[in-house]
Amino acid sequence: MTKVENGADLLLECRSITKSYSGHVVLDAVDFSVRRGEVHALVGENGAGKSTLIKIVTGATGRDSGEMVYDGTVVPMEHLRRDAEALGIAVIYQELSLIPGMTVAQNIFLGKEPLRPLTRLIDVRKMNDQARELIDRYNFPLKPTDLIDNISIAQRQLVEILKALSGKASIMIMDEPTSSLTKTEVEMLFKIIALLKSEGISVLYISHRMEEVYALSDRVTVLRDGKLVKVLDKEEISPEEIIRLMIGHKLEEKAVQHELTPKGGKVVLEVRGLTSVGKFEDLSFDLHEGEVLGIGGLVGSGRTELVRALYGADSFDAGTIRYLGKEWVPSVRKSIEGGIGFIPEERRLQGILATQSITRNIGIPNLDLIAPRGIVSVKEEDRRAARGIELLNVKPPRPEQLVGNLSGGNQQKVVLAKWLVRDLKLIFIDEPTVGIDIGAKEEIYDHIRALSARGVSVLLVSSDLPELTRLSDRVIVLRQGRFFQEFRECVLTGEKILRAASGIREGDDE
Amino acid sequence: MNKKPIATELRLAVVLVPLMAVLSVLSPRFLTLDNLTNVVWSVCLIGILSSGAIYPRITGGIDLSLGSTAALSGIVVDLFMNRMGIPWIPSILMTVVIGALVGLFNGFIVAKIKIPAFVVTMAAKTYLYGIALVVSQGAMLAILEPRPFILISTGRFLGLPNPIYIMVALAVTSQFVLRRTAFGRQVMAVGSNEVAARLSGVDPDRVRLISYTISGGTSAVGGVILASLTQQVFAAAASGIELDVMTALVIGGTSAVGGRGSVLGALIGAIMVAFIINGLNLMNIPAPFHPIVTGSVIILALLLNEGYLVPKRRTLSRA
Repeated sequence: MTKVENGADLLLECRSITKSYSGHVVLDAVDFSVRRGEVHALVGENGAGKSTLIKIVTGATGRDSGEMVYDGTVVPMEHLRRDAEALGIAVIYQELSLIPGMTVAQNIFLGKEPLRPLTRLIDVRKMNDQARELIDRYNFPLKPTDLIDNISIAQRQLVEILKALSGKASIMIMDEPTSSLTKTEVEMLFKIIALLKSEGISVLYISHRMEEVYALSDRVTVLRDGKLVKVLDKEEISPEEIIRLMIGHKLEEKAVQHELTPKGGKVVLEVRGLTSVGKFEDLSFDLHEGEVLGIGGLVGSGRTELVRALYGADSFDAGTIRYLGKEWVPSVRKSIEGGIGFIPEERRLQGILATQSITRNIGIPNLDLIAPRGIVSVKEEDRRAARGIELLNVKPPRPEQLVGNLSGGNQQKVVLAKWLVRDLKLIFIDEPTVGIDIGAKEEIYDHIRALSARGVSVLLVSSDLPELTRLSDRVIVLRQGRFFQEFRECVLTGEKILRAASGIREGDDE
Repeated sequence: MNKKPIATELRLAVVLVPLMAVLSVLSPRFLTLDNLTNVVWSVCLIGILSSGAIYPRITGGIDLSLGSTAALSGIVVDLFMNRMGIPWIPSILMTVVIGALVGLFNGFIVAKIKIPAFVVTMAAKTYLYGIALVVSQGAMLAILEPRPFILISTGRFLGLPNPIYIMVALAVTSQFVLRRTAFGRQVMAVGSNEVAARLSGVDPDRVRLISYTISGGTSAVGGVILASLTQQVFAAAASGIELDVMTALVIGGTSAVGGRGSVLGALIGAIMVAFIINGLNLMNIPAPFHPIVTGSVIILALLLNEGYLVPKRRTLSRA
């Protein structure tokens, strides 16, 4: 590898990075750089290309073209995870990568345990001593002998950080590190980031939370639709500016703004003071017949937890729900029988039976109809499956096809079909189009509109801002588990939702 | 719409024929009525146990306690009939209820306390064996009476041994429940994706409780049949049979990770296991070698069912 003089104090320099997945360009000639010892935030909407860029830097995926220089070393096209680690690039993963059942010290020194010279056995005492030294240096609330299973998520993140520091990390990449932390834990993390910075370690930080980005960063890189929009210096950083750059003034502006016209009519769902400790607090709203009520907010703002509680998948601590005018204590079974449907957030984990046929998948929430006395009417089951497949245009239209072998878009159609073959009055929809192609997306939008036109009420949670603005008749934005703002009777844009989700208050119609 | 399982079963049947041919060439005694009757006994026992054990297996669990439950059931039915003087029919019914309760208890620990089924039923296998030792006072007890009880297994109807009818009845019922009832759909759904099943209105805990209860019940039926057939009961009577049952299930295409399975396949699996063991006996291959063969057959069956040994068409039919 050749050393390169870049003159500046750049630790990481990417030039013209391009990456596409099956013909779809996700990064388009992006320039990106991180200085030595700075805290650098990477922001952008979902699908802007942040994760892909990080994956390329950490070697989790390859780039199609573009140059990368790290610490004066040209990074070759073939750049794997272990190469990145050897260079000093450390990642604190969102889904923590520690091994349960092992101690803090064992995790920190995994794969690089100190050995006794003669026997080549692990020198446990030395390992624990070294771990203690590290812990003491940063004054973390940890013991080397703590089991990973017995410590909190925040503490686990600390272990991840120590693990990186025990190597020779010169950059620490944190992907949404605060999404599962409490307020005090977040403050502690901020202190740690400052500490890392004072030691000359760069921190690359991905977050949707504007106030964090604002409080922490020396520079901010904004991506939009796979392109670099702007790099902001410290004095230029403000939440309003970042949001403006993230949303941009897209050509298809018409498509992403939407005139809200709230529907009156009968109240189908009445929620008062609903509280689930640590998830959401004191939420009250009405949902009318045929209305699409959008729920906006950042990841972790309590949206998913709210719809799960309303559906009966999780319990709640306080508050009342009235459904069709009657007192309602939900359970999944009651909800289904009462005409309520639910599209969960994660299709593969929560939505589909991958090893079962399309027919069986559509059948399972409809057992009350296809097997009213416990014995399945195969005729009825086949009839409903055929209807679901036709209604949603599932491809291939073969009822016996295993759902695990369908494309993401068709899997999601099957999940929707499960409910569309029933008589619904209300459906909770959480992130309906994550990771599916545009064609399937539009078809799913059509179905949501058709449901609403038929008088079915829809509670829609989405992080896809154009989706939320286009489909909703009214939008409620949650922030940190609480009601923050409602949008009705105004021209709604993604920008307005994002500003509210980020805690910027303003008039409903400006 | 059930094209896939039928394909599995057909493929098994196709393997069965050459297996029989090979065995009859290797040993002239194989295709004699006496020998086939012998094979039928072990097929019946494995078949009866499989028709219940398939439920926990499809939910992604396992019931390893079924051999101990069967042995204990034999001892208990003898206790009821011959030491307590209860008539044979109520004795059998009570024994089956006890077996089901044992299964219910296993299911409770698996479903509610969330301990892996392997551990729970392994422990149950051990303590049930202990209870069997205590109740039988460690002895091998002969059952010579009552006559109707002995005839359950040793009698014939229309020329065929009675246990065949019992096995067929249980297997048909079990297959029907699995394929044509809401409960069967729920068992498959829980084995395929418990979270998705729950969000679609299935109660996975209830499904597990019932699955283990069924397995306990059929184990008791198996134990009663075995007692009636051998006319003796002891704590180690059905020792190790759980492995034969699991082999039959694996060969029959019941997925090792749940969500898939067929009783008909398991029956064909049971026949194959019984044939192979019988063949080894006929060829005078010493018993210590038998597990080597059956173990290898499990691996072969797994490879076959997961589509490794048949290249092209398999992957298509799985798609």
